[in-house]
Amino acid sequence: MEFCLFLGCNTPAVRPDVERAIRASMEELGVDLIDTDNYVCCPAFGSFPSTDEDSWLATSGWNLSIAEQKGRDILVQCGSCYSSLRMGREHIMHDKEKQQRVNELLEPTGRSVQGGSKIRHVSEVLYREITPEKIAEKVTHSLEGLHGIVQYPCHTLYPSEVVGFEDSPRDPKGMRELVEALGATVDSYSLEKQCCGGAGGFMKSTPEQAIQFAKNKFDAILEETQADFIAVSCITCLMHMENVQNTINKQIGEEKYKIPVFDYNQLLALCMGKDPKEVSAIANVPRDAIHAHLAKVAA
Amino acid sequence: MDLQTEAIKDLWKDVDKVGDLLNCFNCSTCLSGCPASYGDPPLLVRNLARKVLYGLEEELFEEDTPWACVSCSRCEEMCPMDVKPFELILHIRMWQSTNDETRVPPSITEIYRRGYTQAVATNEELREQLGLKPLPTITKDEEQLKMFQEMLMKTPVVEANSYMFG
Repeated sequence: MEFCLFLGCNTPAVRPDVERAIRASMEELGVDLIDTDNYVCCPAFGSFPSTDEDSWLATSGWNLSIAEQKGRDILVQCGSCYSSLRMGREHIMHDKEKQQRVNELLEPTGRSVQGGSKIRHVSEVLYREITPEKIAEKVTHSLEGLHGIVQYPCHTLYPSEVVGFEDSPRDPKGMRELVEALGATVDSYSLEKQCCGGAGGFMKSTPEQAIQFAKNKFDAILEETQADFIAVSCITCLMHMENVQNTINKQIGEEKYKIPVFDYNQLLALCMGKDPKEVSAIANVPRDAIHAHLAKVAA
Repeated sequence: MDLQTEAIKDLWKDVDKVGDLLNCFNCSTCLSGCPASYGDPPLLVRNLARKVLYGLEEELFEEDTPWACVSCSRCEEMCPMDVKPFELILHIRMWQSTNDETRVPPSITEIYRRGYTQAVATNEELREQLGLKPLPTITKDEEQLKMFQEMLMKTPVVEANSYMFG
């Protein structure tokens, strides 16, 4: 299996440890990742998709054309990139006029979009192609004894007819089964399917309410679960669910919210025995307890 | 509000060319579970749909709430009438950006300048520490970046505001 890895902006710019974890763990599972040379912004929904369709779809088309030239599908972790690329492709491939316009714009750059490459989310490839059973066989450092909760990336659930891969977007199972494959117990809670609230303009335009929105979720996690960690599979969920805990702690003057947040591929890489100094190096909520647990299992 | 004089009957044709919006019967399913509906002021997609349908151009022009959307697209999934509320939000933003240069998101000038909204893979020392190779970004490839910029310059909002992209 070989994919063009589409990293977006946050992962390589702010959290390259997640990039390292994705590369290290996917390689171990026999998935080859090649670079998407000269890729550009997905484009983020707050950019060209908020100005006009020409610039939006031409930018999507630019990215799609790179994968098409290499004859590979695109693999994405960031929820927004995944959704933007899929929606862009959907518009281009289901409207001949739009496809023609995009190809007119791309033509002077020596590119075109014919639809040969698809957009795949890393959690879908892990869940549907590799499967939790195969992943469990690769675990050398089990999370057994630890409890986790999962955060489903909204952008992989809705709208299901464009982005979905779960049997039902109302009852997703992928992330849960993937985390269970690493040996952890996954707890359920009432606000499990609530969005993290970190994408788009919510935090910027109305921070007080956005923080309260996230706090409700964290209160439910603390009251209803024994979570030692949170597993996500979207860079925005990861960054926001870390940052917002620190923000709330500052506001209330105590360290009440301190559940470490991991990208799934980071947990996977750690459970395969990869070095935390590479695959789990940057954390805004300390991960020492989880790293120590895995070191103890190894010893 | 004087609907007789202020309303522009065909506003929806400018905003939502597809016409899915005409299916909306104001049921409010789009608000359930919408993170930005908890904001102050709240993002109320249902109300935005009404403003477009009633042709309230001035009011729609002043709306900041479409920009608070988190793009989760839950409304798109749940809408029983296939109105595509998330795409409606994008179309309202497009209509605002097209008609008012102060609405043009600054992020598009960053993407034009370096391909991304932020500095991607310029942290080479850190990448090396983590065992990562340099990333072949467009920021480093002048020829490709120039082609990308020339392509964008032929699209409506960039072209109309070319002074922002010097």
